[in-house]
Amino acid sequence: MKNRKGFLMIVLVLGFAGYIGYNYLYKEHRNISEETSSLEISASYLLERFKKNDAASLLNKTITVTGTVSEIEKNTITLSNSVNCNFETDLKNISLSTPVIIKGRCIGYDDLFEVVKMDQCSIIK
Amino acid sequence: MKQIFLLIAFLICTTSILQAQERYSTKTGIITFEASVPSFEEVKATNAQVSALLNTTSGDIAVLALLKGFRFKVALMEEHFNENYIESSKYPKATFKGTIEDFIASKLSEEEKKYNLKGTLSLHGESKIIDTSVRISQTDEGITMQLNFDLKPKEFNINIPNLVSSKIAEIVSVSAVLLLQQNNK
Repeated sequence: MKNRKGFLMIVLVLGFAGYIGYNYLYKEHRNISEETSSLEISASYLLERFKKNDAASLLNKTITVTGTVSEIEKNTITLSNSVNCNFETDLKNISLSTPVIIKGRCIGYDDLFEVVKMDQCSIIK
Repeated sequence: MKQIFLLIAFLICTTSILQAQERYSTKTGIITFEASVPSFEEVKATNAQVSALLNTTSGDIAVLALLKGFRFKVALMEEHFNENYIESSKYPKATFKGTIEDFIASKLSEEEKKYNLKGTLSLHGESKIIDTSVRISQTDEGITMQLNFDLKPKEFNINIPNLVSSKIAEIVSVSAVLLLQQNNK
């Protein structure tokens, strides 16, 4: 009887540890479109901050960027020639020179084209 | 006065050289790398936001990938890649600068041709010469470049702890697909 209780306890503990372990190993990806943005900034000012090396704190953060669409290439759009935003789905109803507000994850500065890059973007407006 | 003339002459020369160059570019190039070991979890990531710039006059090419832009299937793997191995906050980008040997833009066609590509890959604070082949074709959409090469994390001073080393291949295979469009900005 005592042994059986002990056995049950061990099974429970192992099961619980397994559950925690599994959740740790296979935790969900971040959902950028549902995260609250930590900063709202204009595309050109964001670029300026990266050029001045004053943007390390924004890396990997969810931010909201405002600007006008200056380029569309496949599923990315560039805002005000300053911020390149990648969408995981195909883009619809986006046209050049319209003002937009986009939320996404800031992934860094591309010094080849001198643009800041964001991924997992969604259109706020 | 003479200096100003020289400066103007210099500017005219350089701008005309720049105009003569044909530039092709993309901001949506795709790079995938894989370091999977059979019977373990797939170690594979893709970045679909790679920048590349090709000068079709000289055959020079520059490629830049932000390391935080590599997406894995498993979120924890992505976190470990960024924080422990590639240290993407300290070294945010990987760059390649090189030249396609014997490249003549006018000879490109819809049929893939093989060229030699030689250049320097910089990653995690280290640089290494890469010598590989690249398949290039041209259609109405632009110039497509496809290439594969292998890397060893050790060569870039990336240490994989013993605990996980059996689950990550020692040789990482990298592939890139770049569709470059004319860009004369």
